[in-house]
Amino acid sequence: MDLMAFMEAMGTSGIPIVAAFFIGLMTAISPCPLATNITAIAYASKRIDNSRHTLLVGFLYTLGRMFTYVAIASLIVWIGISTQTIALFLQQYGEKILGPLLIVVGVLLLGLVKLSSSQKNDRFGALKEKLAHRGFLGAFLLGVIFALAFCPFSAVLFFGMLIPLAIQSGDSFVIPAVFAFATGLPVILFSFLLVKSVNKVGTIMNKVQSFELWMRRVVSIIFILVGAYYTLSKTFEMW
Amino acid sequence: MKHFLLLFLFGFALLLAGCVNVNQGTGNSSSANLSDPATDSNTCGASDNCNVSPISNINKVEVIHFHGTNQCYSCKTVGAYAEETVNAYFADELKSGKITFAHINGELPENQELVAKYGVTGASLWLGTYSNDGKFSAEQNVNVWYKIDNKAEYMSYLKGIIEQKLAGN
Repeated sequence: MDLMAFMEAMGTSGIPIVAAFFIGLMTAISPCPLATNITAIAYASKRIDNSRHTLLVGFLYTLGRMFTYVAIASLIVWIGISTQTIALFLQQYGEKILGPLLIVVGVLLLGLVKLSSSQKNDRFGALKEKLAHRGFLGAFLLGVIFALAFCPFSAVLFFGMLIPLAIQSGDSFVIPAVFAFATGLPVILFSFLLVKSVNKVGTIMNKVQSFELWMRRVVSIIFILVGAYYTLSKTFEMW
Repeated sequence: MKHFLLLFLFGFALLLAGCVNVNQGTGNSSSANLSDPATDSNTCGASDNCNVSPISNINKVEVIHFHGTNQCYSCKTVGAYAEETVNAYFADELKSGKITFAHINGELPENQELVAKYGVTGASLWLGTYSNDGKFSAEQNVNVWYKIDNKAEYMSYLKGIIEQKLAGN
């Protein structure tokens, strides 16, 4: 049995939680969520001196995704808004907003835009610093926003497989939460592994500070590139 | 940071409010370009998890690939393989009109009625079944997306699914 056949078999399993988990894993490796996850991995890994911080950021990012998926499932299961309405709306507008937003965040993180020292801009600068250095709330918000971006295949997995599962089970919390956990799992694992390995190299070379600066630049560029990917893919592809 | 959080929550609430508004706007639709022997009261989209009663005496099976104006690679492949399957295995049924196949651009205004009828949520492959007594049921097939890397498996799988639909299963 090849990997896709295995993922299909598990994603259509009779046990809803198992199915939700594997639909989530499949979503995590489909093109659009993969792009957002790479961005999130970069974001979580920028504090290379602290693996606990990285894990926390990864979990908060996943929690953000969970918030969005549970909210969407609740709107459908409990409030009764049609799946079709939400699906088409998010596919039409989700990525349109996400692309430019990522580019702006990337440019700010990179420090390409020098803000003047007026009071208003100081606040903005402080926000930028907090997002760049602490990153907990930023990670949560990143998860919330990234989960709103649906590409064709991820929309099929979420609206065509997971939502019918949630409707069948009358469960708008556990099933979307398990799904969200699976979509964020690669971020937690990869960012942790990345930090562990880079940190080891950095320590050996005694250049952790320098590594951090470069890591931040790399993160900024990844934000800009992924933002450009979304903006361009949205220009050439609707759903 | 507190202000940013409030701003974000406000934005999210607006986004959700937008969904509700779109829902209210879906009533405006124009005619579809496929034949429609069923009444709308019998319409049931699989994604909305309707209970579909088993249909015997199948009159027609519609295989429809819904897509956007500019398609992704996987979307094109799902549609192309489906068309090839129907042409390769159901040539007689295509001639007699027992089976129809169509690529439908869900973004075009003239297709909105069909999009609403099937309950389409994006690029997708649907099988619509009409019984002799005028009942209609629609089912989205999500499994085909897992098979686009293996054309032979895709075609053999979809052939089986269409045969089941023709048999009224």
